[in-house]
Amino acid sequence: MSKKLLLAASALAILNVSPAFAADDADLSALRAEIAAMKQAYESKIGQLESKVQSLEAQQNQTAQKVASVEPAAGNTIPATSVRKINDNSFNPEIGVILQGKYQSFSEDASEFAGFAVGEEAERGKEGLGIDETELNFSANVDDKFRGSATVALHEHDGETEVEIEEAYVETTALPYGAQVKAGRFFSELGYLNSHHAHADDFADRPLTNRAFLNGNYGDDGAQVSFVLPTEFYSEVGGGIYRGDDFPGGSADGSDIGSWTAYGRVGGDIGDNTSWRLGLSTLQVDGATRSGNEGNVTFDGDSGLYIADARAVYAPTGNNAEQEITLQGEFFLRNENGSYEDTDAGTAIVPYDGEQSGWYAQSVYKFHPQWRVGARYSKLYGDDVPAGLAGSAIDHQGHKPRAVGVMVDWTNSEFSRARLQYNREELTRDQEDNQIILQYIMSLGAHGAHAY
Amino acid sequence: MRLTLLIISILGVLIASPTSAFAKVNVFACEPEWAALAQEIGGDLIDVTSATTARQDVHHLRAKPSLLAAMRKADLVFCTGAGLEIGWLPILLKKAGGPDVQMETLGSIMASDYVEKLEIMQKVDRSMGHVHPEGNPHIQLDPANIETVAEVLADRLFMIDQTNAAAYSQNLENFKQKWTAATKRWSAEKASIQGKKVVVYHNSWAYLLKWLGIDAVASLEPKPGLPPTASHLEEVLKTVKGQEVSAILVAPFENEDAAQWLAEKTGIPIVRLPFTVGGTDNAGDLISLFDDTLKRMKDAS
Repeated sequence: MSKKLLLAASALAILNVSPAFAADDADLSALRAEIAAMKQAYESKIGQLESKVQSLEAQQNQTAQKVASVEPAAGNTIPATSVRKINDNSFNPEIGVILQGKYQSFSEDASEFAGFAVGEEAERGKEGLGIDETELNFSANVDDKFRGSATVALHEHDGETEVEIEEAYVETTALPYGAQVKAGRFFSELGYLNSHHAHADDFADRPLTNRAFLNGNYGDDGAQVSFVLPTEFYSEVGGGIYRGDDFPGGSADGSDIGSWTAYGRVGGDIGDNTSWRLGLSTLQVDGATRSGNEGNVTFDGDSGLYIADARAVYAPTGNNAEQEITLQGEFFLRNENGSYEDTDAGTAIVPYDGEQSGWYAQSVYKFHPQWRVGARYSKLYGDDVPAGLAGSAIDHQGHKPRAVGVMVDWTNSEFSRARLQYNREELTRDQEDNQIILQYIMSLGAHGAHAY
Repeated sequence: MRLTLLIISILGVLIASPTSAFAKVNVFACEPEWAALAQEIGGDLIDVTSATTARQDVHHLRAKPSLLAAMRKADLVFCTGAGLEIGWLPILLKKAGGPDVQMETLGSIMASDYVEKLEIMQKVDRSMGHVHPEGNPHIQLDPANIETVAEVLADRLFMIDQTNAAAYSQNLENFKQKWTAATKRWSAEKASIQGKKVVVYHNSWAYLLKWLGIDAVASLEPKPGLPPTASHLEEVLKTVKGQEVSAILVAPFENEDAAQWLAEKTGIPIVRLPFTVGGTDNAGDLISLFDDTLKRMKDAS
């Protein structure tokens, strides 16, 4: 309809502004007749539309009156007109705040990972009462094709408040062929847990694998593309390129692409009750200089991480509002080629080429709409190091770090949760750290949907 | 490196796997009632997937892998809207939905946009429980709403699949005839239960009760979306005492414990209504959904 109108308008415009237009009389009168016919058609259409609008307006008024005359219902339900007010602030982004508080108690003074040099986020946090990260999230549709989201985390470290841009990205919302592109800083699709925010986790802390290999989350500056493939069952592939600044990368400079990721996933349902997902992914960091163990250990070189992840969710009749069991596990393998230096142990810069690995498995049982219990086991395997690194943090000295955790949590609504967790961590030889963690996680305002 | 190769070869296989021929219109229905309606209007010309079953609480569903696969193929997304699917539909649309099925496009129907909603709230606060500021989304249990949405659906199917427009129009006519006859029958049947009182579990029945002229005197949930508590149930018991309440209404996916407690204390029968297509053995399609609902309501009183 509007195309024809445009055509007519442009025809008119051409006729008006180009008197020199050479057309013979017959053509001209034919065109005139056509335009007149078109005009008539549109006038009648417009007439119809006007009367339609009038009748709709009348209807709307009636409804408004009807609704306005309804008696207030019992309780706090306030009936209102069906006509909603549109204010300027209707376009404000959705704002969400995650408030978290913790009490932690540890039986051991120190906590070191035998055979691993880890980042700051891998540490167990501080003892006693304290607030955890406070997350501020702003998100909104940019327009019909893009959505933007920024998450700023506020936390304290050594008495100072640190502001961290956890995520700040734009993503496409309406690409064809099952494609989606994300750009900015974000948690990469890598294994299962990495792309999730910690506040949505089933436990108060991350498993040893994600702490040691990804420093909690790998979230770097870059771009990621994904494709949901047109298969009967679910399958998705994707990958990204990044600056390579976040652990296990670091000190990225120059114009090089510091790291890249790739992943593939499949999934589906088994009957009405069970759904599952399997995935393989990799994170490759080229030529990074990364420091760990509070700056004491420096790695320089290439780091390749491979992850296999699996998850299954069972709920009777698929109704997870009442009961649900989730099983989840990930296996990590890291291959590194470069050099390590441990200033704390006084080593030289020693060439290193080897593999470290680890895994975790967990299960969470929701036995009541508001209550869940869960258990998790995680374990790491260090490497046999060259003689020059003997006695350093990279030397596992025959010990495999392991941790077992059990938790119970209470979810009043989808916006509030309180959790009690017990951990027993044996991260180095002769260290048995018994930990009690009591925490709450609450969310104010907008709270986006959580992925599978 | 071997792993990288493995990943790449798996990707190769997945990409090369044959895709089904693009012949029928693929309808992604969020709830069984819309799947059933799509089947009525689309018949053999469409393929319908229902994201949920009658035994699942739609509020709590996850954006699970099988739904991503279904969304990937969708030519028309047919859902309730009004925030009912807010926990999972946006993720599916973003990740797997094409440009033609996004909100506010030709390939997207949010049924509740086309009917007059109940319980629209001017002011909302999370302390009120799981409330929908857009209004009560459980619109399917008023026959008039079904008819309105059927027309919207037929309109869209015309536009998406113009070669079969005549067939959709015929199917709509057939359905409307059936529906008008059935609605007449139900209007006669419902007269005997008008003015009765019931207790509900969740405010899932607002449209049904308005249509039937029945009052809900109490709800087993203390606030929408929060499970029943002992103290709230005592309140409900007090409210119910001295009133003639004919049934406690429970949906197929709702826990019966609280209803049973109240039933034992008061002798009011528990009535499990189908709520949507497939919610009881007899509610196999839209007409039998209303037939069975009316039958169960009448049997109770």
